[in-house]
Amino acid sequence: MPSGARQGWLIATSIMLALCLLAVWQSSLLALTDKLGPGPGFFPFWLSLIGSGFSLALLIGIVRGPADPPDAEPILPSGHGARRIGAIIGTLAVTALLMEVLGFQLAMLGFNIVLLVALGERRWIAISLFAVAGSFGVYYVFTRWLDVLLPAGLLGL
Amino acid sequence: MDAVQHLMAGLGAAMSPGNLMFAFAGCMLGTLIGLLPGLGPAAGTAILIPLTFSLDATGAIIMLCAIYYGAMYGGTITSVLINVPGEAASVITCIDGYAMARQGRAGSALAIAAIGSFVGGTAATIALVVVAIPLATLALKFGPAEFFGLMVAGLCLVIGLAGKNLMAALLMTVLGLLLAMIGLDPVRGAPRFTFGLPELYDGIGFVPVVMGLFGIGELLLAAERRETRMIEADLKKWNPTKEEWRASAGAIGRGTVIGFVLGLIPGVGAIVPTFMAYVLEKRVSKTPERFGNGAIEGVASAETANNAYANASMVPLLALGVPSSPTIAVLMGAFIVNGITPGPFLFTERPELVWTVIASFFVGNVILLILNLPLVGLWAKLLRIPFSYMCTGVLIFCVIGAYGLKQSLFDVWIMLGFGVLGYLLRKLDLPLAPAILALILGPMMERSLRTTLEISAGSFAIFLDRPLALALLTIPVIVLGFMLLKPRAFAPVRQADAE
Repeated sequence: MPSGARQGWLIATSIMLALCLLAVWQSSLLALTDKLGPGPGFFPFWLSLIGSGFSLALLIGIVRGPADPPDAEPILPSGHGARRIGAIIGTLAVTALLMEVLGFQLAMLGFNIVLLVALGERRWIAISLFAVAGSFGVYYVFTRWLDVLLPAGLLGL
Repeated sequence: MDAVQHLMAGLGAAMSPGNLMFAFAGCMLGTLIGLLPGLGPAAGTAILIPLTFSLDATGAIIMLCAIYYGAMYGGTITSVLINVPGEAASVITCIDGYAMARQGRAGSALAIAAIGSFVGGTAATIALVVVAIPLATLALKFGPAEFFGLMVAGLCLVIGLAGKNLMAALLMTVLGLLLAMIGLDPVRGAPRFTFGLPELYDGIGFVPVVMGLFGIGELLLAAERRETRMIEADLKKWNPTKEEWRASAGAIGRGTVIGFVLGLIPGVGAIVPTFMAYVLEKRVSKTPERFGNGAIEGVASAETANNAYANASMVPLLALGVPSSPTIAVLMGAFIVNGITPGPFLFTERPELVWTVIASFFVGNVILLILNLPLVGLWAKLLRIPFSYMCTGVLIFCVIGAYGLKQSLFDVWIMLGFGVLGYLLRKLDLPLAPAILALILGPMMERSLRTTLEISAGSFAIFLDRPLALALLTIPVIVLGFMLLKPRAFAPVRQADAE
């Protein structure tokens, strides 16, 4: 466990325990056995039960283990790093939301410009060239040359 | 036909203009991905899967394999020039490679790395040709019980050797297996863990998951790191001196053997052979004090072992259908996406494909040597691409890859969710390797177990009646028991949660 990670491990293991217990419940609703042998619930039921045991054992180990040292490095990012990470996740999420409506080309054009600016780029000619190539250019290459279907959006772009 | 005849036929096919182009493009893209700090071969292979959507299966696999070993070499350039390994296996190269660059010997370091990689990769491919058919023939005698045992053994070796915390590695394996259970039950067709969402009936797509965990996850981690400074090296002089050649020859030979042998064992990870080859070289050296201060043997041994490992790790995949590392699991996913199931049947059902792919490893190694010796200066220039452009470009590929396979924006959300999860898991130092291998092996494991139990009418005693299955199932017991009893026994190896 890295320094400063105790709380993170506690949260992660608790989430895993909850997920495993949910999986135990969900798989118990399926048939564990049938006339041919094991049913659809057999493998996930035992697996999630074993997973619950591992989560619990790990959780107890973390709770009993030493606390993080006061000078431990924080797990979550801060400052510049946090802003960059937030920009990447945020722009990607907004793009995924808008892609069905705007289509790949317009959504990606916006994505490229916003993300490049958010990551500190200020050369507008370079941004524009990259944004157009990374949206309209990429769309052309993938749909025409590589036969990959990409969303056209309500405007058909 | 014997292996040599098959290989010759495969070489003919691999040298066709189309396949040569795919191998060339794969080597180029792989090297490019490998030298971008923060993106390893697993991420690179995953991100570039969309480029192969429209290719025939052989071309797609040739290209993705070339991306894999191209990325293994590409990581060397950043190790030598900016002291940042492009991928985990190049960590050891930083020690002497960067020291050589500071002494003005970057060209020699990169040249000997390229030559060592070529020798290691080619020798390992020859060994692959020799062992693949006997191993596949043996595996053809396996029933579902033996396959279940094989997959459990492979997975447990990964668990035992990959993580720093055994319990956490086991938990990550369960997570991967549970994710693999999402969707329709493969035997009876009952929906499992779908929560009424029709998008989940097909299960969680492997491509968006690996793109998220490796591509986005590694990118988020790179976004948090500081900028690094590149050494201004004269890369026009790349030919090593006579003394450097003499010093490297033995290291290349020993690195090849270590890389190949360890590449056959699932779960060892790419960093372990490089570490062991380096340590061995230091032990046999008459002047061990030079190591760490620019010893060319240090670069030669690590890089040779790295590429020998990369090619040898194809043996368990092609002959047994068991991936030995996350990158190989990504490749296995790409095989499956293209309608091919790796394993012993591949040699009897699709010999033309498997031998063309194996032959393409030879071709790829030659292409890499040609690309990396004279063009090393060009690659070094690419290191100047600002992070903002690199990151945005990679994300475009990720979105296309996640969406393109099923034309589903739901998969883009899956990718984003797993990207954040991959970042958090890395920050917490929770091992990703067991989860990704479990995700790819999960459906096959379940099918094998259920078929076995259907044969025995639900009795587990069938495993006692099949000696090979029993022997395979004792491997995990021994490995995990050893790990629990002697948690420090694998300490140097466990640092290597490679890739």
